[in-house]
Amino acid sequence: MQFKDQIDFVRQHIKKNRLRVFMTILAATMGTAFLIVLASVGFGLHDTLRGEMLSNRLVTEIQVHGSDEAEEPEKQVDKFKAMENVKAVLDQQKLGTYPKIMLGDFEGYFEFVVSDFKEEAKVGFELNKGRLPENDSEVVVGSHFATYLQNTTEVKEGEEMPTYEGDLIGQTITFEIENNEGDLAEEKLEFTVVGIGKEPTREWVMDGRVFADASIIPKIEELYQTSEEEQFSLFYHSIMVYADKLENVSQIAKAIEEDGFYTYSVASELEQLDVFFLALKAGLIFVGTIAILIASIGIFNTMTMAVTERTREIGVMKAIGANPKLIQRLFIMESAWIGIIGTIIAIIISYGVSIIANYLLPIIVTSALGGEDSSELNIVFSVIPWQLIVIASCISIGVAVISGWRPARKATNIDVIQALRQEL
Amino acid sequence: MIEVLNLSHSFQIGKKGKEKNIPVLNDIDFTVKKGEIVSIVGKSGSGKSTFLHILAGFIVPQKGHILIRETETSAFNEVESAAFRLENFGFIFQNFQLMPGLNAFENIELPLKLKGIEKTERRRKVSALMQEVGLDHVGDHYPNELSGGQQQRVSIARALITDPPIIFADEPTGSLDSETEQDVLLLIQSLNKLRGITFVMITHDEEVAHVADRMYTMHDGRLVEGSVQHAI
Ligand SMILES: Nc1ncnc2c1ncn2[C@@H]1O[C@H](COP(=O)(O)OP(=O)(O)OP(=O)(O)O)[C@@H](O)[C@H]1O
Ligand SMILES: [Mg+2]
Repeated sequence: MQFKDQIDFVRQHIKKNRLRVFMTILAATMGTAFLIVLASVGFGLHDTLRGEMLSNRLVTEIQVHGSDEAEEPEKQVDKFKAMENVKAVLDQQKLGTYPKIMLGDFEGYFEFVVSDFKEEAKVGFELNKGRLPENDSEVVVGSHFATYLQNTTEVKEGEEMPTYEGDLIGQTITFEIENNEGDLAEEKLEFTVVGIGKEPTREWVMDGRVFADASIIPKIEELYQTSEEEQFSLFYHSIMVYADKLENVSQIAKAIEEDGFYTYSVASELEQLDVFFLALKAGLIFVGTIAILIASIGIFNTMTMAVTERTREIGVMKAIGANPKLIQRLFIMESAWIGIIGTIIAIIISYGVSIIANYLLPIIVTSALGGEDSSELNIVFSVIPWQLIVIASCISIGVAVISGWRPARKATNIDVIQALRQEL
Repeated sequence: MIEVLNLSHSFQIGKKGKEKNIPVLNDIDFTVKKGEIVSIVGKSGSGKSTFLHILAGFIVPQKGHILIRETETSAFNEVESAAFRLENFGFIFQNFQLMPGLNAFENIELPLKLKGIEKTERRRKVSALMQEVGLDHVGDHYPNELSGGQQQRVSIARALITDPPIIFADEPTGSLDSETEQDVLLLIQSLNKLRGITFVMITHDEEVAHVADRMYTMHDGRLVEGSVQHAI
């Protein structure tokens, strides 16, 4: 029998029992759609959390810390730079305490960072205004520096402290630091602000740091390193290696760890996240599969009834000379057809449900939380990737074929003579 | 064409442990030459249908040999037997056994579909044959829209469509009135003459048996050549 005739044959049978087949398809559709929608929540939340982590520039960052076997990673900076797929290596030297900085009546405590601006530029550091510091009396400030400069003298009860609103470029700031005894040292330094950094890409990240050139270190240390016998540096190193791509992070981190250093990266956290969500998705698909298995009972019933009803016809086919394998195939094709149509409809429905859920749920959640602007809630609840479609289709069509198997076997085992004896 | 030697068969009935053996066919010898119409008569329950079913390969005989067109068919498995039937046999049943969901044309077409023949070729063959057996106006009628005689013509056409060398007929006129019975018998005779098809035909009716070239009588599971009188 030619394949297209087999298809024709199956279609004719389905047409004859339209309602029954329709109900069976409906059950298969519901089961499959349930699986897809359920699992899509796992995919959606995973994507959302992943996106959240990835939109940060720090994702390609690997923090390198010394260990007992490998101390002072700052001495290996050049080696790190030479490694494959490394985009930049930052050797930031941070002041161990937050210095107090004053500008007129305004003051605040700030993180003080000495860095290599060439390397910083490679990982996105840019100036919004002004220029980079060129000597030991110039500094650059972060975009939110001014908002941390507060006037504490004129503050009234219940009012917010006024912050600095004037121009920063060209202003002289006063720098004070605690000495070893924990008091503010008498010695003060003055720096000129020559540039302002660009705002970080993420709106809620505030950059209030003060950046300076390396030439500033001896100047500060000379002034504040009071105790002669212990020449502890006031600055500590913070080494960060940046990969060119997220995929390369773990390989670089591994290479660095082989040298005995400790590393930390968001990427390694991301891996844990992926493992967790892999388990979650598998669990959701498993639960969804149960729904499909329930639907398979319907397919089994429908096919068994179809075989019983057509016993005489099957007998005639066999008498005429139909191969038993052909008869089996025709019935399996019929149950597969139920699975395929059910799956196709389920896919369409699932996409619809997914779109509606993604549109409605943020609105519901924000209104429940008393918020107003739902666009702030940047969560995607349901995502249906092609992999999910493939998995769901395989499960659903596979289950349909398996549930049609026994009825199809029953059809091939029909005794010709018994079948021909059946009354019309 | 067909040669049967020492064929015996019995059925088992009853539950396990208390099986009863019912002998139905007893040491049968039987030959049919090419182009013959051979009829088998006998009382109800004498084993005629069982014998035909064994010839057709629906039942595997317990003992004996069947040679059809020089092939030992009694040793076939289910798949081989089905393939052999499709190639060599046509069937005409007492109650026609048409597919209720297929119209006359499609019923006749079915064996060709099973053989995997192209649609255009099928159409040509079926149309030609329907004209030959006088069914040209009822192609789109379903079995329940046809008279008994027409249904039997459709089933004869279905048996003929693959040009089989042998047609088995189990009481082909059993559910027809005497006038249509004559029509159908004439059709069988003319097909035998024109196409040289070999017929093995079971019948109750000695009248019907007279269209045959030779006659066998089944009596209590024994097959004897000749009329009923001979057998007794
Ligand atoms: N599957 C079976 N199991 C047990 N006994 C059977 C079976 N099939 C047939 N028989 C028995 O075999 C005998 C012959 O049956 P068969 O159908 O061959 O008779 P027949 O000659 O065709 O009769 P009729 O003229 O009424 O059609 C009967 O006694 C019947 O009871
Ligand atoms: Mg009979």
